[in-house]
Amino acid sequence: MTVRITVDGAAYEVEEGRTLLQALDDLGVLMNGVEVPHYCWHPKLSIDGSCRLCQVEVEGVPKLQIACDTRVTDGMVVHTKSERVRKAREGVMELLLVNHPLDCPICDQAGECKLQDYAFEYGVQHSRSREPRRALEKRVELGPTIVLDQERCILCRRCVRFCREVPGTGELVVENRGDRSVIAAFPGAPLDNDYSMNVADICPVGALTTKDFRFKMRVWFLDELPGVCTGCSAGCNIHAGVANNRVYRYVPRRNDAVNETWICDAGRMSYREIGSASRIHHPQVRGADGRLTAAGLGDALAVAAARLRAAIEGGGAEAVAVLASPHATNEDLLALRRFLAALGAPPESAGVAVPTGASDDLLLREEKAANAFGARALGFGGADAVIERVRSGAARVLLALGHDILAPAHLRGDVSALALLDGVILLDTHRSALERIAHVVFPARHALEKLGTLTNAAGRVQRVQPVVEPAFAAWSEGEILLRLGEALALPGFEEPAAWDPHAVSKSLGEELPAFAGIDVDSVGHEGLPLRGESA
Amino acid sequence: MGLKVPHTTNYLTEHFGDDGFVSLKGYEAQGGYEAARKALTRMQPEKLIELVKDSGLQGRGGAGFPTGLKWSFMPKDEDRPRFLVCNADESEPGSFKDRILLERGPHQLIEGILIAAWAVGAEKTFLYIRGEYSEPARVMQQAIAEAGESGYLGQGAMGTNFSHEVVLVRGGGAYICGEETGLLESLEGKKGQPRKKPPYPAEFGAFGMPTTVNNVETFCHVPHIVRRGAEWFRGIGTEKSPGTTIFGVSGHVVRPGLYELPLGTSLEQIVFGHAGGVPGGREIKGVIPGGMSMPILPAAELDVPMANESLRERQTMLGTGGIMVMDDTTCMVRVGCVIAHFFRDESCGQCTQCREGTGWMEKILNRIERGAGEEGDLEILLDVSAKMEGATICAFADAAAWPIQGLLRHFRDDFEMHLRHHRCPFHEGFRL
Amino acid sequence: MVKAVKPKKAAKSGAISGATRKRIAEEMQKFPQKRGALLEALHLVQEELGCIAPETARELAEIFEMRAVEVMEVVSFYNMFHAAPQGRHHVHVCTNLPCSLRGGRSLLRRLEEHLGIRAGETTPDGRITLGREECLGACAYAPMLRIGDTYHENLGVELAKKLLDSLE
Repeated sequence: MTVRITVDGAAYEVEEGRTLLQALDDLGVLMNGVEVPHYCWHPKLSIDGSCRLCQVEVEGVPKLQIACDTRVTDGMVVHTKSERVRKAREGVMELLLVNHPLDCPICDQAGECKLQDYAFEYGVQHSRSREPRRALEKRVELGPTIVLDQERCILCRRCVRFCREVPGTGELVVENRGDRSVIAAFPGAPLDNDYSMNVADICPVGALTTKDFRFKMRVWFLDELPGVCTGCSAGCNIHAGVANNRVYRYVPRRNDAVNETWICDAGRMSYREIGSASRIHHPQVRGADGRLTAAGLGDALAVAAARLRAAIEGGGAEAVAVLASPHATNEDLLALRRFLAALGAPPESAGVAVPTGASDDLLLREEKAANAFGARALGFGGADAVIERVRSGAARVLLALGHDILAPAHLRGDVSALALLDGVILLDTHRSALERIAHVVFPARHALEKLGTLTNAAGRVQRVQPVVEPAFAAWSEGEILLRLGEALALPGFEEPAAWDPHAVSKSLGEELPAFAGIDVDSVGHEGLPLRGESA
Repeated sequence: MGLKVPHTTNYLTEHFGDDGFVSLKGYEAQGGYEAARKALTRMQPEKLIELVKDSGLQGRGGAGFPTGLKWSFMPKDEDRPRFLVCNADESEPGSFKDRILLERGPHQLIEGILIAAWAVGAEKTFLYIRGEYSEPARVMQQAIAEAGESGYLGQGAMGTNFSHEVVLVRGGGAYICGEETGLLESLEGKKGQPRKKPPYPAEFGAFGMPTTVNNVETFCHVPHIVRRGAEWFRGIGTEKSPGTTIFGVSGHVVRPGLYELPLGTSLEQIVFGHAGGVPGGREIKGVIPGGMSMPILPAAELDVPMANESLRERQTMLGTGGIMVMDDTTCMVRVGCVIAHFFRDESCGQCTQCREGTGWMEKILNRIERGAGEEGDLEILLDVSAKMEGATICAFADAAAWPIQGLLRHFRDDFEMHLRHHRCPFHEGFRL
Repeated sequence: MVKAVKPKKAAKSGAISGATRKRIAEEMQKFPQKRGALLEALHLVQEELGCIAPETARELAEIFEMRAVEVMEVVSFYNMFHAAPQGRHHVHVCTNLPCSLRGGRSLLRRLEEHLGIRAGETTPDGRITLGREECLGACAYAPMLRIGDTYHENLGVELAKKLLDSLE
């Protein structure tokens, strides 16, 4: 059932039973054409109704109404720009500023502060109050991840509701009453849950900050670039905050089909993998002295090709064991499929190992790889069969994309089974025990350093694009495979064109029916489900 | 120490001088529980609600809402359990009438509750008494036990099929729990922060069930209306505000105390005729007519009849009938400071305007009283109070704004003198 | 004459007693949801232990199957509950307007001087916590104060001092 409402002269058809703010949010016009400022209301939390900023005029109702808690009715006529509304907003803003410290120059929220924004917008940059401001604690550690500045808090209670309603842990309350109210946790029971840092995102002011990002960078220097978290297979949408070609943070990017407005703490912190000191920085080749030394790409390709050729000559395609990466993009993995086909091996002969970890009913998925679903959708098989071929001696060379085979479910970090191989060729982002025994190593790009698509645990294909450029030479796995195929003179790899993820992505649908019409350009910023998936 | 029997009595307080009236026996001796018997055995609930509507009884907790109408809001034909709540969280400064109704007439209250419960079909009443009222709570607890033992409460009240239980609940000390939805939250073991409305208590009340909340005094009128009829009740008081109420008179008067008088009695009559006027031959400066949240009236306006329809014309209200008298030595800025402090202290802190506005007003008023007031302060005060009005979850912010507006309306000179002389020009009647 | 007033119960530390737990369980029966009995439980426990310290809040949280932080939240909202130990006697002087007009505030000042502490503080011997309180519903009998459960009305300063001196 829908009802018709008019807001500032524009007619809308909205779902019955929604509140005005929900209806405007459903339409995508809230703060995007229809400006109804709000602090306590959040689209994914229960209605609080206490900040009183979202007051609007509803024709036929004498008092101004809060849009967050006013249900739409058929024929409702709403004004959000009238003089009365403007004055009411000004009033709330001025009162909020009575006790708010004027420490914007040293506040971490400056630049993304709703108090600052609205104060500017409604022309009340200072309160007329000259009274001494309320003196409270400036630095309260609410838990291992979050610091509270009580003076900046405007008591919207979003953080309190978040802890109760999203992770269900309920660590936070409003202690005391009236203007002595402060956000607090119980002694010995700090704010400590898998989603704790979201409270800093939803805090409309600079009261809650993450210890991780606090004082690291002024937000106006950050480019907020859309991406996908690679911490697990949930594929939570994020904005990567980038400055100086460095990722400073992830914040969740709203996608109601995936992560709503949230992200887990582990995923949020996974940005650190991009700039990690354990990244593989050079192509490397194991020399006669048994040590890995940096090499040029051409040399590394030549050595890798030689090892592969020798194995193939001895035992055919069967002699090459291949591990696909659950971290690589669908485009990289399509390149691997083609590489295998050129060797004469079916895709399922390559295995994919997926690291696992804690999961829950919210966002955390057991599989700790962004494209595990995609790797299976591309037809790759299990990893244990591949290891078996290594153990049995049938395989003489291992071509590994990533080091996930070290996971507890497979090798448990024990590489002795691989030591007898004639060659281990590794395409990887980070150093590992596998790297230490590899004969040739190629530095791969992190998913947020390349263009492509990832398929999350629900079968939703989502786009990633380079948010930073690695400060060292690194390649997409797909590109290295292209060059390796060329070095091996595999059929179809003669004189390969430059690596073009757009083109590869377009051909996903040609080779795999589930990808019909789905490619890096068509999925947009919110992704599309694979054919046959409901995600 | 101890409770004083009202100076003037009428039907509510008629027997309050008799210590025996507190007991069930004493109450029965005065015809007690006859009205309940009549209601439960001979009147259909709808008829009872009609009777209370016809009587014109208005709630005595401050807002003056018609009681019969409130009862009629309870949903019909529903089998959810339904509750009655007796609001005995009397905390309005200047009000102390419920205390005596609890202490001296406990069975009158229980009888009123029982009749109301029959009318709205409630299985249980939560009698929420402010935590500081330990003596009233003790008296009520005993009376509830007596009424239970004698078959008025509990299974099959007075031989009928109707069962009713009264549960006494002690508050924890918070003015806001007098607001009916703040009370409901508190009753549920939570902070007493008022709820957004709708839904109203008749739909979603105590523990989410249909609930009617009435003030102590409101319940106490009910047995008398049942016994003597709507017409009798309408014969007392004014046409629009029938019945008596118990005025509490405090401050600068010769005989402070409680006075049960018909609504519409003039403020002058109460202050001078009954309370004996101002001691020491001083003049009256102003009178707060209905508890501290109601705007003050100047001496020249004491001719006003004490009923909502006439008080509204003077931009104030009857409230809880707590009359505070101030003589001509009183500094109205200092009065404002005390009022503002109270409301800042008791604001629950949910809504922006209330949490921040109450504190801001108190700071400005304190500064003016200290002699550090500046030009523009009074305009800011009026502006802040206007911003607090009608814009929050409950009426607390209005209650905090109105008295300050009243002081500025009638005693602006006091404020301006402070600004001009940079000090308080009054003798220190009391230090802040 | 003013008689010596003994504290009803000495403040003790420790766990909630079995007897109090039993009373709380009885109170819970009166409500559709047991949390309805929380305020009464806070009164009972505070009468027994003197305050609702964090460890007590944790115990109550177990009894009520709620979070300790929610017990703390409720304790902090109400005037009558205390998270920290108070004096053996809690003396509250009403300083609201009706009492102020009749000497409530002067009485408080004089008692502050008499005890050598400010409102809100406890005497060094832990005997008396002096508090100022908002309206207690004794407006016609001002000035007044409350000691524990008992109201003392129409008090002169000298009488009030004697009353305080009689507290053990």
